[in-house]
Amino acid sequence: MSLARFLIKRLLQGVFVVWGVITIVFGLRVIAPGDPANVLLPPDVNPEVRQQVVADLGLNEPLYVQYWDFVTGIAAGVPEGLYNIVMGQPVGGLGLGTSLTTGTSVASRVGRSLPATLELAIMATVVAIIIAIPLGVVSATNRHSGPDYGATLFSLAGISTPNFWLGVMLIIVLSVQFNLFPTSQRAIGVPGIFDLLLAGQLEAAGDGFLTWLWYITLPAITLGTYFTALITRLTRSGMLDELGKTYVRASRAKGLPESLVRYKHVLRNTLIPIITVVGLQLGTLVGGAVITEFVFDWPGLGQVLINSINSRDWPMVQGSLIVISVGFVVVNIVVDTLYTLVNPRVGFD
Amino acid sequence: MISPRTLRSLKRGLNRNALAKVGIAIVVVVLLAAIFAPFVAPDRPGTQNLNESRQPPIGFEKASTQEVPVQENGSVVFEDGQIVTENRTVYENATWDHPLGTDGTGRDILSRLIYGARVSLLVGFLGTGLAMFVGVTVGLVAGYYRGKVDDMLMRSADVMLAFPSIVLAIALIGVLDDALEQSIPDPFVVTGVAPAFRSALGLPTGMPESTVLPGTIIVVVALVNWVWFARVARGEALSLREESYVKAARALGANDATIMFRHVLPNAITPILVLGTIQIAAIILLESSLSFLGFSSANISWGFDIALGRKYQSTAWWISAMPGLAIVITVIGLNLVGDWLRDALDPGIEGEGGV
Repeated sequence: MSLARFLIKRLLQGVFVVWGVITIVFGLRVIAPGDPANVLLPPDVNPEVRQQVVADLGLNEPLYVQYWDFVTGIAAGVPEGLYNIVMGQPVGGLGLGTSLTTGTSVASRVGRSLPATLELAIMATVVAIIIAIPLGVVSATNRHSGPDYGATLFSLAGISTPNFWLGVMLIIVLSVQFNLFPTSQRAIGVPGIFDLLLAGQLEAAGDGFLTWLWYITLPAITLGTYFTALITRLTRSGMLDELGKTYVRASRAKGLPESLVRYKHVLRNTLIPIITVVGLQLGTLVGGAVITEFVFDWPGLGQVLINSINSRDWPMVQGSLIVISVGFVVVNIVVDTLYTLVNPRVGFD
Repeated sequence: MISPRTLRSLKRGLNRNALAKVGIAIVVVVLLAAIFAPFVAPDRPGTQNLNESRQPPIGFEKASTQEVPVQENGSVVFEDGQIVTENRTVYENATWDHPLGTDGTGRDILSRLIYGARVSLLVGFLGTGLAMFVGVTVGLVAGYYRGKVDDMLMRSADVMLAFPSIVLAIALIGVLDDALEQSIPDPFVVTGVAPAFRSALGLPTGMPESTVLPGTIIVVVALVNWVWFARVARGEALSLREESYVKAARALGANDATIMFRHVLPNAITPILVLGTIQIAAIILLESSLSFLGFSSANISWGFDIALGRKYQSTAWWISAMPGLAIVITVIGLNLVGDWLRDALDPGIEGEGGV
């Protein structure tokens, strides 16, 4: 199958999954107990006012009408919003509605929180890859040595540790006892640093970057540890598998230097399946980010989701759920495509 | 089901793998502690005692600054009619009454961990069981019938996988609220066996008569995790349906349900059980995250106790540290058992876990 056909097929599947996500998200609101109007109104409100609010929210319509409005609202709002973003025009509600508690646009709230979550997820992935792959390689090429046992123990503990507890412990030891890092929050974000750069304030931007790094260190370690442990495990076992294959013996017999065999041939073949797992686990990473944000009071999407569930702010819940899962679907399509591109043995099918 | 050959390879794996023995030992100890909680817990898990709050665990001492009266020649000193005081660091030593210390309201941490194990394991086992039931049924039907049924079921599984598990779990809890919460009586306490045992040994009596069964959490973790079982069961059903004994059963006129559950399922059981072990660990982690975030109604739970301890993070680190260690040790045990089963049985599945 050609790349174009592969992409079209994956995109169609992606559209189907996104439609399913939107349907589930709509269904959650419908079966949730309690009336969304209750969030807006005091309990002793005049019944006529109440009727009016329910009608304004469209809750009097039959379910299929509500569903149709929900889906078409998003289907029309999102492309329009993306067009506006590209053209540099003010972005509307993206069809995601307005918050029941604050009355502001869900899209803008979610949009403001997105960079914080992305920064955290990307930092965690970068840290994980930088630590895990060398660790896995050392572990596999020095089997049954001290470093191997150390790496194995680390990866076992890493996949078994709840990240929120790790975060709490890092705060207790490094922030409270030794005062090395801030206990919570995010002082400045990457967009803020870019603004400073664009304004030509290089020194302030440099300071901002250091502050950003100082604040993101503990959350990134918290979020990245599970991932680091997982990739270490996969690199180790994948590399051991590859090292046992006949082409390795052939290259050695041919007289290739050991480093070339290990890093050019074996490591390359090991990394290919790891890309898939990293892609599949990005969902776990976003899930982990929700808890990490809660622990560190990090102003990302996870905080929006938890707060809106607690206040029964359904449009906000729906908006953040849709953004999180659509992001996940997009990442998966990108990873699948990369996977087939880097691995000539896998066809587009 | 489990053939003698399988048992032999399990045993061989166990002899070769010391870590597997450690894993089994951990799981057995946690399981026994959870079942026999009213016998083994040194104290009542829910009873507050403010005089004994924030006591350190054995091996540590708590330093706190207290205002004490200045004494000269054995009597207090007055100045302008007021007792003169000074700030002095007072060290409080751990006692064997509370081997792991006490929490912010003086409850014994070890006893809370033992009772917390009940919640974690109940959710872990029942949640996995429910997820297995739903997932295996869907997977067998999809793999056995193939075609449109398969497409429809597996596409809906893909949709479920588009949500990170904790995110979907939080949303479902928002929907279900605490509609399914149950409280189940503790047979050992209700029948009077545990109280008699405790008073004979001189231990504090008055253990809780019931355990919270967080039904909402169990249903939610099952709804989030059934997909993994469905994928494995479908894969097995797809290959097993072509086996000659399945064809023979069909030729003999057996109906589809009989074929699926009597002929296909028993031969697919190994990978499903291996996945089940890994899933118990994953679900225990998920439960602890949900109760840490405050979404569980269980008032004694490892995750919940970690959240409670955050208030005391500068004065009493052990309140948060101990329940976390309990989670880590339990999950390590389950993962070691899972690794052993997977290596010994080689069912060819990827372990899926984490929160």
